[in-house]
Amino acid sequence: MAEMSREELDAHWRSILTEGPFPGATSFLGFQLVDFDSREGWCTARFTASEAMLNPGGTVQGGFVTAMLDEVMSLSGAIPQPVMSWVPTLQLTVNFIRAMHPGPVFGRGELVYTSKSTAHVQGQLTDENGRLLARGVAACMPRPLPAGN
Amino acid sequence: MSETPQEPPRLSDAEMLARFQNSKKRPPCSDTLGMRLTEVEQEARRIRMDFEVSQSFANPTGAVQGGFIAAMLDEAMSTCVIIDSNVTMTAPTLEMKVSYLKRLMPGPAHVEARILKRGRSAVFMEADCFDDEGTLVARASASAIPMPFRRLG
Repeated sequence: MAEMSREELDAHWRSILTEGPFPGATSFLGFQLVDFDSREGWCTARFTASEAMLNPGGTVQGGFVTAMLDEVMSLSGAIPQPVMSWVPTLQLTVNFIRAMHPGPVFGRGELVYTSKSTAHVQGQLTDENGRLLARGVAACMPRPLPAGN
Repeated sequence: MSETPQEPPRLSDAEMLARFQNSKKRPPCSDTLGMRLTEVEQEARRIRMDFEVSQSFANPTGAVQGGFIAAMLDEAMSTCVIIDSNVTMTAPTLEMKVSYLKRLMPGPAHVEARILKRGRSAVFMEADCFDDEGTLVARASASAIPMPFRRLG
């Protein structure tokens, strides 16, 4: 892929994350980009928790909570990279703070530190009233995306 | 294992497996993940589940998004607690850590979960996720708070 300026990278990310088509995991979670800042290293998105995610207790199963966190945390790690990249997660820890119910969920991912070989990210999910539902931290590995992405 | 006196008699492994496999009150998340409980070993405090991971859980690279691997691991660990408690307790997860060793492609996957310790106020679990060739792709460890179980009759 030809060298892209920061502005070109941002525009490319914005178009991918708003126009789609989205990969399956992203669609399943009802992902909608709210905003991102590649220089400050954060990304915010809205998700929709659906009935298909419910556990026997009628709340969202922890894995789907984790999937939402993984989306915003991965983006916050990928978007600031100097070339179009993805950031496969090596290890991820999630704290489940309050039960999640079907409906809108707001996510924020933040890049804590990145180098050529690592990206440390953190994220949180809140409900409509701004109550904290879950927090995550992860260690990822930046990898340039193949051309065409 | 500490058991309260009013607890129902323990089912055999085969009976417990049948009870879960024939349950009509399957939670939506189990269907979403294509989950099937295949082994119960109450003595060893472990269970095994098969999953059929949908193409719709892929990330942009075509592999299964890490959160959905976490969902399978969580499903197995939670069920393991329910079975280990003789279907008297459930355990909302407090914290879960997942190590992603290898990519997992959509299709069949297998998860083994085990109880490390189940006390009155805390449960510790572990789970391994394998691809269809039997290669370890992810490992989870988690903690949870046991609570009385009402849903599965």
